[in-house]
Amino acid sequence: MRFPLQLTKVFLKTFLRDRQSMFFSLVFPLSLMVVFGFINRGGGDALDLGVVDQAANELSQEFITALVGNPLLEVVLGDEAALRESLIEGQVSAILILPENFEPDPELDGADIRVIVDASQVRQQAIIVSVLQQALLTIEREYRGTQALFKLAVEDVQARVQSYLDFLLPGIIAFTLMQISIAGSGFNIVEYRRKGILKRLFVTPITPAEFITAIVSARLFLCLAQLSVLLAIAILALDVTVVGSLVSLYSVIILGSVLFLCIGFSLGSLAKTQQAVQAIGNIVIFPQMFLSGIFFPIQAMPEFIQPIATLLPLSFVASALREIATNGMALTGILPDLLGIAVWLAIGFVLATRYFVWKEVAG
Amino acid sequence: MPIIQVQNLTKRYPLANNPAESFCAVQSVAFEIERGEVFGILGPNGAGKTTTLEMLEGLCDIDEGQAFVDEICVNTDPYAVKRIIGVQLQANEYFDQLSLLELLELFAALYGLSADPLALLAKVDLEEKANAKPEALSGGQKQRFSIACALVSEPKVLFLDEPTTGLDPQAKHNLWDLVRELNDGGMTIVLTTHNMEEAELLCQRIAIMDHGEIVAEGSPADLIALHAPEPRHVAQHGNIEDVFLTLTGHGLRD
Repeated sequence: MRFPLQLTKVFLKTFLRDRQSMFFSLVFPLSLMVVFGFINRGGGDALDLGVVDQAANELSQEFITALVGNPLLEVVLGDEAALRESLIEGQVSAILILPENFEPDPELDGADIRVIVDASQVRQQAIIVSVLQQALLTIEREYRGTQALFKLAVEDVQARVQSYLDFLLPGIIAFTLMQISIAGSGFNIVEYRRKGILKRLFVTPITPAEFITAIVSARLFLCLAQLSVLLAIAILALDVTVVGSLVSLYSVIILGSVLFLCIGFSLGSLAKTQQAVQAIGNIVIFPQMFLSGIFFPIQAMPEFIQPIATLLPLSFVASALREIATNGMALTGILPDLLGIAVWLAIGFVLATRYFVWKEVAG
Repeated sequence: MPIIQVQNLTKRYPLANNPAESFCAVQSVAFEIERGEVFGILGPNGAGKTTTLEMLEGLCDIDEGQAFVDEICVNTDPYAVKRIIGVQLQANEYFDQLSLLELLELFAALYGLSADPLALLAKVDLEEKANAKPEALSGGQKQRFSIACALVSEPKVLFLDEPTTGLDPQAKHNLWDLVRELNDGGMTIVLTTHNMEEAELLCQRIAIMDHGEIVAEGSPADLIALHAPEPRHVAQHGNIEDVFLTLTGHGLRD
């Protein structure tokens, strides 16, 4: 078999001229990234703390500055009545009242600082109280001139900052490549068969193998181009970090695309009409979208679903991409995922070649 | 030596309601077509015309019998046959996104050839549509474009499946002219049709099929002499439509 370069070019040309689907296949994953990135913005973690500064002296200013500097807190200044209302409405989690006698006088008894909380938010109460005690302790040491005996340094196990978008990007890439590939092979095939294009092609000397090679090559090329755009936008505009090597990443992308192209061909043989192929396509696409750890880790799902979820083809692809992109794994470090992809690839290939109807194509 | 030889050609399909049983779409069909002939296959819907063509074109498997095109066996060497035939199918839709020029280039490439698309379009009188998309063509233009696509490999045999169905009289006559022109150039043409006038005007010989079998074969004049209804004492009377209806009956087909 010669490589069907001309036919590949033709498919590429026809796919590229289908502007609408080119556009939407990029807009959909990008809007998902932006929306989910926005929802999970880090700001949600900070606790809003209302502060009433009745002392208004140097010490109270210093204390408030210390609180503002704490990443766990979002300080809101105001008078007690207004802040109480905010507390009831849930806009602040607690109110701190610095009394008029909040002064650095070691001779006097310590001033009473009142904290007003909503008792229903116990978890936050604990955090606030410990943060406050820490802040007070620091200031107290400063004034008493003592040194702290111990220091607590909190370090992230990942040893680097990882945002939700870093987690999301490999999943979105996996999902997008699945969608482009299944639609690109299965949906096209059914369309070509319905229109009689398949039949017309097969009265020329082209062989089924050449035809498949051409359509797979064209789709693969396009898929890589589309995902590169997605990747570039994510890295440049959305500030997503990819830790591992791009070569490994693209190797998995290619494997995954071929896998889903095969599955698409199988679906295209199974379904005889455009509506049927879309329905079957959705049955394949949507459960995987939610079960394959695209938006949240599989470990966060109910226990009984997990064994099934991890065996889905998209789970292997998403997990492999994620290991590379966020953990910097080499291909040798993700052998189980690669094995899973290989098994699905073999199943897809057998189904695609076995059930693909070459002759007597419905006309 | 005839360019097409068909012996005992049979095609069975499983019944839709009972896959264990099958019906014969084409049953023991045999005919020969001479070089440079225009050969017509007539028959009501479901008679097996298209199936017969598709077996000759290597599109569907031959269950029984043998077919040769230019001494190449279709059963064993379909790809070699595909190289020397040109085919126009009933459905004539193409990739939406490509222009006529690009489509002709594609078809040439499928044969490993580089054709002259403009010359082909000139031949079927579509030069001014070179950069149009197929969807912008009228019915007659679509059929002519289909024929242009079938001509990229300069085939020895051209198969036309109901080429004038659905065309207006002008487009129909235009297409007949094209077929005659190609035939004058020495090309063998095999066509199926419902149009008796077409068969009578274009074809040197005709085979009439019904229920998967050939019920009559010969030149239009011979068939009229043999099968046209009374009065029998007049040497030449009636037309091919009379012959057709006498042989296949007046019952409506789906």
